[in-house]
Amino acid sequence: MRVNVDLRLKDVPGQLIRALEPISMNEGNIVGVVHNHDLVTGGRISVNVTFEHKDQKTLDAIFSAWRERGVEVVKMGEIFRTFAAEYLIAGDLPHSALRKITEGIESMEGVETIDLQYSLSTSTSNKTVLLLVNVRNKAKVNEIDEYLKTRSESDDFLLIRGTGV
Amino acid sequence: MISSSYAGRGCDMRLALVGFGTVGQGVAEAVAMKKDLVFDRFGTELKIVAAFDSLTYAAEPRGLKPLELVARKQSGKGLGKTRPKSVAEMLRELDYDVLVEVTPTNIENAEPGYTNIRTALECCRDVVTSNKGPLALKYRTLDDLSKKNGVELRFEATVGGATPIINLSRELLMAEKVDSMKGILNGTCNFILSRMGEEGLPFEYVLKEAQEMGYAETDPTYDVDGIDSASKLAILANAIMGLDVTYHDVRRTGIRRITQEAVELAAREKKVIRLIGEVNGGGIEVSPRMVPLGHPLAISGTLNVLHMHTDLAGSITVVGRGAGRKETASAIMSDLVGLLKRNACLLNGRVK
Repeated sequence: MRVNVDLRLKDVPGQLIRALEPISMNEGNIVGVVHNHDLVTGGRISVNVTFEHKDQKTLDAIFSAWRERGVEVVKMGEIFRTFAAEYLIAGDLPHSALRKITEGIESMEGVETIDLQYSLSTSTSNKTVLLLVNVRNKAKVNEIDEYLKTRSESDDFLLIRGTGV
Repeated sequence: MISSSYAGRGCDMRLALVGFGTVGQGVAEAVAMKKDLVFDRFGTELKIVAAFDSLTYAAEPRGLKPLELVARKQSGKGLGKTRPKSVAEMLRELDYDVLVEVTPTNIENAEPGYTNIRTALECCRDVVTSNKGPLALKYRTLDDLSKKNGVELRFEATVGGATPIINLSRELLMAEKVDSMKGILNGTCNFILSRMGEEGLPFEYVLKEAQEMGYAETDPTYDVDGIDSASKLAILANAIMGLDVTYHDVRRTGIRRITQEAVELAAREKKVIRLIGEVNGGGIEVSPRMVPLGHPLAISGTLNVLHMHTDLAGSITVVGRGAGRKETASAIMSDLVGLLKRNACLLNGRVK
């Protein structure tokens, strides 16, 4: 899981290292550090850190190390990295069939957003739809690929996938 | 151990050329064009000692004149005499070193190419072919037979025309493990999809245009339904990734149902639609895909491209002209030279 925290450190040398050490000591991976030298409140400077951690246990260990070291955590939020998958669907598809397809994807765990876009022009009675899906992990994209491949065979529509994430 | 009788300077490399349509004629012209270069480099005379079309043949142990064969064929007279028996039977009796098999691809049963190639391999002759059918349907059988008899079966011309894909992977990238491949293997489909994207024209219209320009056959099924791409992908999967698959194992979707609206919606996302063949741990498939503009696979026109991913080198992309008389002849020549190089190596580098 990826986490973003706002820390307040004493404005004395060596504090940044003291704040980052607990992350690496607990198998965390530091993704980014923004050191706000000019934002000093009550003698403390603000540092924003983004890091990835293994599980709740390691996250708890990082927080308890910060408490022991006098590092204040003022804000924390989880960041989800999402993967976008795009599909074009073309065929003689009634709205009910399209709804079934999107409901099938929505019911999958880890699907963040689904967006449907229609073409403005129509040269045939067939419908062409662009389906944009955001998911939490790469494996989920493969799952949706397989789901749509199966549906395209059973519902006889043309499926055009992207070339991968 | 050199099984070939044509190893070394001063020897002839005697070709039996089976198939004398566009590709066969291109090969004959390339032999005429490149024989001096081959002689200078290897000290070997490149000779066509027998040539066959579907009904007639010509044979001359001292070598036929390639350009005369082409002229005779083009005048509608055939190559010489009417063939008294099957090509395979004649291949058992004739004296030659390499079979160049360039009859048209038959994806139903691989014939007559399969029998011709098998016969030559059984007679311990090296084979160079542009015929996809035998390799897309019976790759393992032919590969095992060539290995058992200590001869080579080379087929650069089956995939990507003049684009060096198979020999590049099997020779220069020999130390690499190729874990996935993705590519555009059919120039006709790529021409159609490029025109649809660039001009906003419908599929049927562009297909007609492609037929008039000679890029597509009167019956376009083989190209637009992805059969040609699937055959090529199966050959690559076997030859480069060491899989054991046939054309029938390839999941296949063609380009007939691609609408103008699909092309337009893809463009809105800064993407183009291309017929992509892909083989990786997840399977082997030919289908239309959306490719980001600027991506190595987003090429236009009749070009072919293959993108490989290997364990050491990472990504490698090869682009080139996929089909045509000269392009296919170029690939056949590269295989013939490959055989001469092998012989030269076996003779401890007597090459200049």
